[in-house]
Amino acid sequence: MILTSSNTLENKEIIEYKGLVTGESLIGANIYKDLFSGVRDVVGGRTSRYEEEIQKARDISLNSMIEKAEKLDANAIIGLKISYDNLGGTMGNTILVTAYGTAIKFE
Amino acid sequence: MKLKFKEHSSQYNRRAILSIAIGTGVGLIVYLIFLYFHIDIYGWNLGLIFAPLAAGYVETIAAERLIGEDIGAISAFILFIDTTFYSFILKNPTLGFNIITAGSIIVILQAAFPTLINYILLVLIGGFLSGFAKSIKSFERKLKTRVENQQTFAWETKDERMNDGQIHYFDEDESNAKLNNLGFYFLTSTDMKDRAHNTLGIFQSEVIIEKDARLIAMDAEIAEQEKLNMIKTGKDECLIKLADKIQDYGGNGIIDLTMNYTLIGMSGEIQITAMGMGIYIR
Repeated sequence: MILTSSNTLENKEIIEYKGLVTGESLIGANIYKDLFSGVRDVVGGRTSRYEEEIQKARDISLNSMIEKAEKLDANAIIGLKISYDNLGGTMGNTILVTAYGTAIKFE
Repeated sequence: MKLKFKEHSSQYNRRAILSIAIGTGVGLIVYLIFLYFHIDIYGWNLGLIFAPLAAGYVETIAAERLIGEDIGAISAFILFIDTTFYSFILKNPTLGFNIITAGSIIVILQAAFPTLINYILLVLIGGFLSGFAKSIKSFERKLKTRVENQQTFAWETKDERMNDGQIHYFDEDESNAKLNNLGFYFLTSTDMKDRAHNTLGIFQSEVIIEKDARLIAMDAEIAEQEKLNMIKTGKDECLIKLADKIQDYGGNGIIDLTMNYTLIGMSGEIQITAMGMGIYIR
C-alpha cells in the first residue's frame, strides 16, 4: 500500500477512485501513569515516552485506514492527512489522532 | 433462691407509714410553694424536681428518727406521681414532652428507686452502645460489598455492557461501506486533473457531540473507547451531511476534503467540521 500526501503518484496512472478511508485513535487514559515510569527520559525538553505514545496512536490510525483501503481493493492512498487534536480530558491529556485520505487503484 | 421479707411489728409499720406521710406532706407543700410563686424555667415548674427531692429527704430523716433506718424514699415516688398527674394530666399545660421533662423524670425516678434506675440506665446505655457499634459494622460491611461489586461490574462486564447497548458500538466496515456507497466522491486530493469536472464552490458541514455524563462514572479505558466511538459516528454524520448539501446543488463529489475536530464550550463538547470544494464529475 502506497501512502502519499500528494495528489498523484509519480509515473503511475490512477485508474479508479475507491473512496474515502479514515482511521482514528484516542490516547489519554493512562498516559500520565505511563509517563511517570519514563520520567528519566525527559532530556533537553523532549519527552521520548510521550512521543512514543503519540507514534503508537498514529500507527493505530494509519493501520485502521490502510485496512479499510485494502477492503476497497485499493493499492494506494493519496492526499493523506494526519491531524492531532487535544480533546481535553481530566488533565487535558486526551489526544485524538486522525488519518484520512483517498483510496485509489493505480497501474 | 427464695426472697425472705423481714417481718416487722405493727408499731414499726405505723411509724414507717407516718414517715412516708410526713415526707409526702412536705413534698406537697414544697410543690404548692413552687406553683404559687411560679418558680419555673421556660414554663417548666421546678417543683416537679424539688418537691419529690424534699419529700424523700424529709421522709428519710423522719424514718431514721422514728424507726432508726431508711425506708427508701417512697414519698418521693408518690410525689412524682402526684405532681406528674397534676401538671401533665389535670392541669394540662402547654408544656410537652421534651429532653428536659424526660431528664427530670429520670432524676425523680432515680431519687425514688436509685438501684433500679441505675441498673436500667446501665443496661440501656450499654445496649445502645452495643447496638450502635453493630450498626456501624453492618454499614461498613454493606459499603465494602457495594464497592467491591462496583469494581467487578466495571472490569468484568465490559462486553456485556456493550451488548446491552450501554456502550455505543461502532462497526468500522459498515461505516466504510456506507460512506463509499453513497454514489458520491469524497476526495482528499486537491484536484482531479485526469477527470473533467465543474466546481460548485466551498461547502462545509458541522456536527457537535454533546458531553456524555455517563462517561464520568465509567472506567477510564471504557470511557475512552466510548468517546472514540461517538467521534467516529459524528464523523460519518458530518460527511453524510456534507454530501447531502453538495448533492442539493447538483454535485456528486468533493475535492480537497479537510476534517477538523475541535473542543468547544466549557463542558467539553466536540465539534467536527468537514469542508472542501464541491464538484460535479462529468
